[in-house]
Amino acid sequence: MSAGAPPLSGPPKPQAKGLNCPKCGAAITLHSFGQAVTVVCGSCHSILDAKDPNLAILQQFEAAIREVKPLIPLGTRGKLRGTDYEVIGFQRRSTVVEGITYYWHEYVLFNPYKGIRYLSEYNGHWNDISICKTLPTTEFGGAAIANYLGETYKHFQSADANTDFVLGEFPWQVRVGEQAAVTDYVHPPRVLSSEKLDKEVTWSIGEYMYGREIWEAFKLPGDPPEATGVYENQPSPVTINVTGIWLAFAAFTVFLLALMAGFDMRAKKEPVLHQTYQYNRADSKGESSFVTDVFELTGHPSTVEVKTFAPLSNHWMYLNYALINQDTGQAWDFGREVSYYSGYDSDGSWTEGKQNDAVVIPSVPAGHYYLRVEPEADPSLPNISYTVDVTHDVPVFGIYGIAFLALLVPVVIISFRAYTFERSRWSESDHPPMELSSFSTSSGDDE
Amino acid sequence: MFRKFYLLYGFLTLGTAAFGQYHGWSLDTVNQLKNVPKSVRDNPGSYRSVYSGYHHYTGGK
Repeated sequence: MSAGAPPLSGPPKPQAKGLNCPKCGAAITLHSFGQAVTVVCGSCHSILDAKDPNLAILQQFEAAIREVKPLIPLGTRGKLRGTDYEVIGFQRRSTVVEGITYYWHEYVLFNPYKGIRYLSEYNGHWNDISICKTLPTTEFGGAAIANYLGETYKHFQSADANTDFVLGEFPWQVRVGEQAAVTDYVHPPRVLSSEKLDKEVTWSIGEYMYGREIWEAFKLPGDPPEATGVYENQPSPVTINVTGIWLAFAAFTVFLLALMAGFDMRAKKEPVLHQTYQYNRADSKGESSFVTDVFELTGHPSTVEVKTFAPLSNHWMYLNYALINQDTGQAWDFGREVSYYSGYDSDGSWTEGKQNDAVVIPSVPAGHYYLRVEPEADPSLPNISYTVDVTHDVPVFGIYGIAFLALLVPVVIISFRAYTFERSRWSESDHPPMELSSFSTSSGDDE
Repeated sequence: MFRKFYLLYGFLTLGTAAFGQYHGWSLDTVNQLKNVPKSVRDNPGSYRSVYSGYHHYTGGK
């Protein structure tokens, strides 16, 4: 405890008890009084019986070569979720999975009036842990689950946890080398853990915390270690109900279809010109352009579709069109190619191109119009007849296609992010993604 | 938050689609010109399309 540390909140301040290590004589101060069952000498790392007035040595372990420095030094005080706590104990634990040893750290926090709680840290991921007040229930059907305070937790992992290194005070008989069977159930951002040591089972509930929250709570210098990977109860960055977004997308798609049907029924689709023309190469030596009859467009600015049909075979035809308003001189100029080729080769028969073409001119106001047409054709094409159809006020279905994609893309991106995050989470579990049947974020709604 | 954003975005998308459909939007590109002389009606050759001289595809596989 630092001399200048502020007093913990609450009724009269308890006094720390000063003792000496029976092995090395180093001063030992008990901060948690009656709550400490064992205390570890910070000098020689002997584990001492805190209940014994003479601090009987319970265990000695060689820590010199595997000294672990806590990220939060013992004696550090901070305000965690509104309550003052002091860090009084630290242990490093490990588990071996498929030959790989994974380490994590646990801190014992003490408040004289609130009691004990814990912090755990693994690869920059933190959890605020407390002992369960009621006993959770477990079900071992198809997928093992646990229920606690009305919430369902999915089984994540079962493993044996070893205690490698201890420092400070502990409210239980801590021993280096002891092994407990740990089972984790998750419901992000919470994790429900059972720890079985001999015949005693302890249930604890943890809630994910970010390193910066811990650093702010304990006013630690520098930056917290960066979190790597996805932790078992880490909240998904996709803090929305993905299913709800897909339902919204489905509703919008229905609206879009209704809109399409409505506009399709409302569209006039009025044929205003239907003419068949003859293209003769001999005639085209001179001026080949011509104009059509005048046709009238009425109503609000709308689409005009110009369709061309030419029964070509292994030839092309190109038409320079201009839709001209004879009253205002406004014109829409466009060129369209009609070409159709077919043949047979080692891959079989093939075709390319089409004998018809359509173009939709946007937002054409009411007025009297005619088309100027200037045909060109394949020099090997002697003559051909072709048909030009002009239709006023036709629906453009491509707009609905774009709207559909615009509605779909954000949903797909969000779903993909949620899926990849959950996949990363469960890849570290006893139920890797191959067995993952759904990727519901289960991290709550966005409200 | 995203849900609200998506709902707003969705309605805006539908609104834009409806607005575009009503006002005759098209996905095709045409070149718009103004003040084409009335004489074109009587003398079509006096007008030259911007697409004249287009290099045509000569086709086939």
